[in-house]
Amino acid sequence: MECVVQGIIETQHVEALEILLQGLCGVQRERLRVHELCLKSGPNLGVVTSDVRLLCDLDQPDPTWTVKHVGGAMRGAGADQISVMVRTMIESKVSKNSLRMFYALGYKLDHELLKVGFAFHFQRTAHISVSVSSVNKMPKVHAIDEAVPVTHGMQIVDVTAPATPENYSEVAAAVSSFCEFLAPLVHLSKPFISTGVVPTAAAAAASLMSDGGGTTL
Amino acid sequence: MPIKWVLHWQPNQGSTVSSQILNEASECVESINGVKEGRWKATLNYYKPILKDEANQSEFPRDFLGISLADEPDKYYFIIKSQRIVVEADTNILSIMEKLQSYKSKVALYFEGFQYQLGDFRFRIGKVVPTHSENVRGIVMEVDYLPISSIKTANKLMEEFMEIWHEALAKRSLPGKFVNIDINFEEYGLGDIYTPQHTAVHYALVMADMIATVQAARG
Repeated sequence: MECVVQGIIETQHVEALEILLQGLCGVQRERLRVHELCLKSGPNLGVVTSDVRLLCDLDQPDPTWTVKHVGGAMRGAGADQISVMVRTMIESKVSKNSLRMFYALGYKLDHELLKVGFAFHFQRTAHISVSVSSVNKMPKVHAIDEAVPVTHGMQIVDVTAPATPENYSEVAAAVSSFCEFLAPLVHLSKPFISTGVVPTAAAAAASLMSDGGGTTL
Repeated sequence: MPIKWVLHWQPNQGSTVSSQILNEASECVESINGVKEGRWKATLNYYKPILKDEANQSEFPRDFLGISLADEPDKYYFIIKSQRIVVEADTNILSIMEKLQSYKSKVALYFEGFQYQLGDFRFRIGKVVPTHSENVRGIVMEVDYLPISSIKTANKLMEEFMEIWHEALAKRSLPGKFVNIDINFEEYGLGDIYTPQHTAVHYALVMADMIATVQAARG
């Protein structure tokens, strides 16, 4: 399982966010260029419809593939009290022909995206990953070179951390407390609960850019 | 990884496979100075689709297999023989398949036996048994030549070595022989350098051949 929060930021403030993240994380950023194919089971397959994502990491000399299954979010009073979403998530590295296999098994391409940006991976109580990316759609199937942004001028910020049924509350607390440091630039909340952009982002970004990211925690 | 041949026991017409043949073959490896190293195990699952309407079964592959190999315990391999697809994945893929609830295992088979070292060769001989049963359904033998990974380079040497093996085994007058299936790995997108995906394809074809033999014997 994993803990996850999401937010949006205007592209003009992404550079400031990168400077802030660099200072906070103390690790080098990694480039992010991922082709995400979302597959759905055909109408007759499975008791209920199932979804699976195939992620192709294009930033490798030889692109690598991952199968990802994201399950339902944890519910109940306990889940309502924490500010991050806790959900099941399983990933498996696979060889490059896995798309062909899923097609042969009766899965269909539902939609595909190209995410381009950067990510930071670091340890802070939990193993936290922050990715900042523009989400692009393709006018034709698999035409990643012709991809165009889904939302002009906006990028998505994802903060995730792997968790277990035993430690998810600690991981959720670590993610929440980390998100507070980003609050001047981006408001992070449970996925699918849009909270919009932060009104003070422009001022915070200006301050960070003039400071050059020299402030560390 | 080293080049590997996967052979299986083909009983003579009218005879059946038994654990006695496995014992004889194991003794034969020891008689040519094979040194027993320990046990090995592989598992194979045949999957079937979970369908809302069983009438549409023909739309889905009937030969979808998953294999876990002794050489790569952290990996899992899928094969759809009719479409020449082989996929390598982490074992996490099994949890994903479980979550998807679109395919389930209909038959599971174990391959288990002993491993032997013989100079630059490694032998694994084992029986094929269904889960929850001790009935021997077949016998497989893996032969690795450890210094070479190129299929083409090792081919002649493997053939010569197998001739020695067959001669040694012939002295025991067993009712059948070990056969090697000639596979066109290129059809599966696999190259000349041997990988565990080659082994997975080998096992899928060995199983298909064993099933065909049993079906032919039943008439």
